[in-house]
Amino acid sequence: MSKNQHDRAHHAKKASGVGDPQCFRGEAGQAKFKNGDMVRIRDLPDIFYTRCQVYTRGAVGRITKVVYESPAAEDEAWDNTDHPEWFYSVVFRQHELWPDYPASYKNDTLETEFSERWLEQA
Amino acid sequence: MPSPSRSALMRHFDLVGQLQPAYHQPQHAPYPDAIDHAKYRALLRSSHDVGGEPDVPIEWEEKEEEQWEANTFATCECLAWRGVWSAEERRRRQNVDVGETQYLALPYYGRWLLSAARIIVDKQYVTLTELVNKIDEVKGRYEQKSAR
Repeated sequence: MSKNQHDRAHHAKKASGVGDPQCFRGEAGQAKFKNGDMVRIRDLPDIFYTRCQVYTRGAVGRITKVVYESPAAEDEAWDNTDHPEWFYSVVFRQHELWPDYPASYKNDTLETEFSERWLEQA
Repeated sequence: MPSPSRSALMRHFDLVGQLQPAYHQPQHAPYPDAIDHAKYRALLRSSHDVGGEPDVPIEWEEKEEEQWEANTFATCECLAWRGVWSAEERRRRQNVDVGETQYLALPYYGRWLLSAARIIVDKQYVTLTELVNKIDEVKGRYEQKSAR
């Protein structure tokens, strides 16, 4: 989608005096997931750009926080802020992510953020 | 600018050859049937997404921030304040668009500086011709200074 008129200052105008991601509050609609939900990370095509670590794909974790609304990195990386999404903090057991993770550290966890598109109900 | 010697050019070609990402498979413009989905994905991956990939240990050194690094950071922030790029577009350009070889081989702020130059050309604030001429002019000035 090519835009004939692109206001390069659109983000600065919107975030000025409000902050980012606060400036996207109320734009993502109803959150699909809530605290405590178990989710699986989807394996969407990841060409050109993504912030969704490949090592999390297919793994199951638990949502610890519904954090904020913001355009997904994959859109914002081309300066598109038209479709903000909910972001979630998800915690995984380390041994869920790494097959060789030592059994003696079975309580170790890793927590990271995802935009909603990357999550499905587990 | 004086012409580079042919032997200097040959050394350049030799070094570029050595900087190719090591894929440990011959990969010179393969025929389409030599690419399966797994290999396609491996080739298309974002170069910054290295979590979980096997690698060798690297040595960590304590070092002061250098003046050019601070200047580069300030320049990139000014580009953001003027709406030329958002932090996410900057990350895409300096971490992924530079490609695997440059991502791994350039210093951290070297990639910042390179992507700042790239975006002002991409978004038509200066032409590549103007940028190249300016670099050439400044280089000439420095060479005169150091000759004295």
